[in-house]
Amino acid sequence: MSLRWPQNHWGLTSRMVALSLLLLLLVQAAVFSVVRISIEESAQRQLEQELQVGERVWRRLLDQNAQKLSQGAALLAADYGFKDAVSSQDEDTIRSALENNGRRIGATLTALLDTSMALRAVGEGQDATKILPLLGKLAATGTQQGQGGQIALVGGIPYQFVLVPLKAPVVVGWVLMGFPINQKLLDDMRALSDMHLALISQTPGESGSVVATTLSGGALKSLNALNDNPRELPVPGDVLIARNVKLDAGAFGTVRTLLLRSMNEVVAPFRLAQVALAWITALGVVMFAVGSIFAARRVTTPLQSLVSAAEMMGRGRYDMPMEFTDRKDEIGGLAMAFDAMRINIGAQQDQIRQLAYWDRLTGLPNRAQFREAVQAHILKFAQDGRGNNDKNMAIIMLDMDRFKHVNDVLGYSFGDQLLIAVAKRLTEREMRVGDMVARLGGDEFAVILSGSDAETAVAVAQRIAKSFEAPLALEDQNVDMSASMGIACFPQHSQDVDTLLSRAEVAMYAAKARTTLMQVYDPSLDSASTQTLSMLSELRQAVAQGELRLFLQPKIALASNVVVAAEALVRWQHPERGLVPPLDFIPFAEQTGFVRELTNWVFRETARLFKSLDSGAPNLRVAINLSTRDLLDVDFPARLDHMLAEYDVPAEGFCLEITESAIMDDPQRAQNTLQILSDRGFKLSIDDFGTGYSSLAYLKSLPVDELKIDKSFVMKMESDEDDAKIVRSTIDLAHNLGLTVVAEGVENALIWDKLKALDCDEAQGYFMSRPIPAHEFSAWARAWNERHHTQPSAKA
Amino acid sequence: MKTTLSCLLCWAAVSLPAYAGTIRVHVQDEHGKPLPDAIVFLESREAKLLSKPIQGAEMAQVNRQFAPRVLVVPTGTSVTFPNRDTVRHHVYSFSNTKKFELKLFAGTPANPVVFDRAGIAVLGCNIHDNMAAWVVVVDTPFYAPSDALGFANLTDVPAGNYRLRVWHSRLAVGAPAIEQPLTVPPATTSASVRLTGLTP
Repeated sequence: MSLRWPQNHWGLTSRMVALSLLLLLLVQAAVFSVVRISIEESAQRQLEQELQVGERVWRRLLDQNAQKLSQGAALLAADYGFKDAVSSQDEDTIRSALENNGRRIGATLTALLDTSMALRAVGEGQDATKILPLLGKLAATGTQQGQGGQIALVGGIPYQFVLVPLKAPVVVGWVLMGFPINQKLLDDMRALSDMHLALISQTPGESGSVVATTLSGGALKSLNALNDNPRELPVPGDVLIARNVKLDAGAFGTVRTLLLRSMNEVVAPFRLAQVALAWITALGVVMFAVGSIFAARRVTTPLQSLVSAAEMMGRGRYDMPMEFTDRKDEIGGLAMAFDAMRINIGAQQDQIRQLAYWDRLTGLPNRAQFREAVQAHILKFAQDGRGNNDKNMAIIMLDMDRFKHVNDVLGYSFGDQLLIAVAKRLTEREMRVGDMVARLGGDEFAVILSGSDAETAVAVAQRIAKSFEAPLALEDQNVDMSASMGIACFPQHSQDVDTLLSRAEVAMYAAKARTTLMQVYDPSLDSASTQTLSMLSELRQAVAQGELRLFLQPKIALASNVVVAAEALVRWQHPERGLVPPLDFIPFAEQTGFVRELTNWVFRETARLFKSLDSGAPNLRVAINLSTRDLLDVDFPARLDHMLAEYDVPAEGFCLEITESAIMDDPQRAQNTLQILSDRGFKLSIDDFGTGYSSLAYLKSLPVDELKIDKSFVMKMESDEDDAKIVRSTIDLAHNLGLTVVAEGVENALIWDKLKALDCDEAQGYFMSRPIPAHEFSAWARAWNERHHTQPSAKA
Repeated sequence: MKTTLSCLLCWAAVSLPAYAGTIRVHVQDEHGKPLPDAIVFLESREAKLLSKPIQGAEMAQVNRQFAPRVLVVPTGTSVTFPNRDTVRHHVYSFSNTKKFELKLFAGTPANPVVFDRAGIAVLGCNIHDNMAAWVVVVDTPFYAPSDALGFANLTDVPAGNYRLRVWHSRLAVGAPAIEQPLTVPPATTSASVRLTGLTP
């Protein structure tokens, strides 16, 4: 899981920065265009307003001028001397006074009119003919005129006129004053309003002419080039927006003023704002870039940390606390969530480890942990060539005997308690460092003894076996437990963990098969064990294809020297291996339960041949070995019934041999089965008597007819006095209990004689005969009987 | 002077009792509405002979107005200009009937102004432009103003032929009194005059 973080890291930052810059630029562009549009609009509006204001100012200026004129005229009209002059009709004085007063206020045309608006006098040195044409119009407006006065063209030049009544005290005449609108007034206006002006007069039928203007040079030229009513006036580097102000129109022509405002001047402050805005944008871009890099780093740096933390978790490290959990923002939240996840996953990991490596029932390590511990030891010492004792390791694999049976009979909960008790016993032992007791599964346990060799392991195994001797008290029941143990050692038996374990297991199965409690691994066991699986199918095949052979070993009555019975034994005639010895497949069959098939086969074969057996003596019995499994099989008696009926043979013709241990596996059920079989009429015999621990008192409660002394005692009785005593006392005891006694393993005449002397009932052994094929038995038996009856004292 | 007036009245009453009559003149504007404050007088050669200056004529200034607004005096009458205001006045007249100037005076000026020519004199004050008054100087003893209903009664007028003249301050500046012939019978009679060209 490689995230190629560095590229992505820079990528995220630059993307965030680029995005915010893009957004900023978009906003700024929008602002710019809006500003631009609104600048244009407001410039237009401002121009419009300025021109409107300009018009008002211009009109006000003219008004003020007219007012000044009016006041001057009124002053003259109110002058007593002037009134005197008028009333005394002193023309020279009147003209002089008119001219004088006019000059004071800049009026270049002055006149005195009578009450009927006829010209009485003009100012000294002024041309009456200029005024005469105006009189009609002035008379028409007469006294209604306002303060603004009249504007009229005089000789092509616009004049402002005012008319003031002359009262003495009633109106006796009018004072007229005219004032040229000239360059000076325009200059005043320009000074007031930053505007250019052009005064244009137009007499009817002629084109307008510029009387006065503040424009100069090129602007004036382009003004002249334009039409009468221009909206704007282009000049080099600028545009002047024009407003046409019509002052007065009369019969003598029109007078108008063009107000001209420079576009550049209006827009200049806005341009300044635009430049400032551009600067702000540039500055904003820089600040945004720096700010967003900082902000992005604030995000990406913790992200980077979180990613490496996540990678750490991915590698199984859950012990590194997250950074940035103290931040109060979303990053902090994320870090805290990550940290909580880290802790939870760690806890779950521990739990999983617990489940994976520990057995829930007993609390012991499980197979996986056991295997790892073995592995760890092997890895630790694999390279260690020295003969260090610490390097050694022994494994004891332990399997409870008859545990399945306990489980079946007493229930699983009891079985579980038993397992717990067993675990407790195993762990009571003092442990060394590196030692371990584990439950591998089911009723299988294993022990690691580190630093131990096979010898030490055997000693430990013996102690374990001893600890099992005391019965387990569980739920008011005493249960006898035994276990089979297999021992394998490192490094002798294997340097590979799985091989080592499987070899310990092989040894354990061997111990179980041989009922020897414990077994140290030996390579010879291995071949047997490897054959096990194929053997089962081969055995089935043997039964189906008739590879089994029935052999009979005769039992001779010691007293009469007559063949009275025979023990049925099975032999396997393997098509390739030849005759397979019983020890190679009988224990295996017992282990796997196939022994029931074998018992079945033997019984059936015996029943089939029963009538053909003819020893020449009456009442020949055939003994058949039963296994534990036969005894525990509730259908077993019925099956025997069935076969007896099938071949029409009596139950009394059969003796069923049961080993002590077979009974002791489940004494209660064994006793039930034995009782049933005894009731059928079968004779019952205890096989291998003396090897078990069963008491005679117990045996007495069983419905048995016969004891079979184990051959280990019989064979040694000629050399070992103790064994001889055991045999004798067994015979005595059995006879006292009303049982017949059979001795096995009679191998020579000396034993024969001793047994005869001890009053033993029957003998079986190589001295008389090896087991012989069933079909040869009748001939052999007849020959024996004939031989011994004709020569009663003879020996084989 | 009082004696003279009494004598005159006596004379008029005594010498012309048999011929004397009263004339009731109705003055209207051009719309036929009664026109008050019009000055109505009768002129004839005989009347001019009878005309004598009167005593005690005055044009006072009260509350910055002339009082009366219109004063009718026979030719040769001396008019005093008592100033009853606390401010000074500068009374003048540029009329040809009588030009004079009484500069910035308070109280009554020592010299009365003698109106020695028949005609209309417009009086103003050089200080107060809104003060205006008229002195109507007549060559007859028969004159009277019209009352609120436009009637003017001329009494003790001997029978004979006269020029009936009517003047009003609303006539154009400098315009003479209108004139129409009137024959006065030796009894009470009436006449009607319609004035046109009046300023509003």
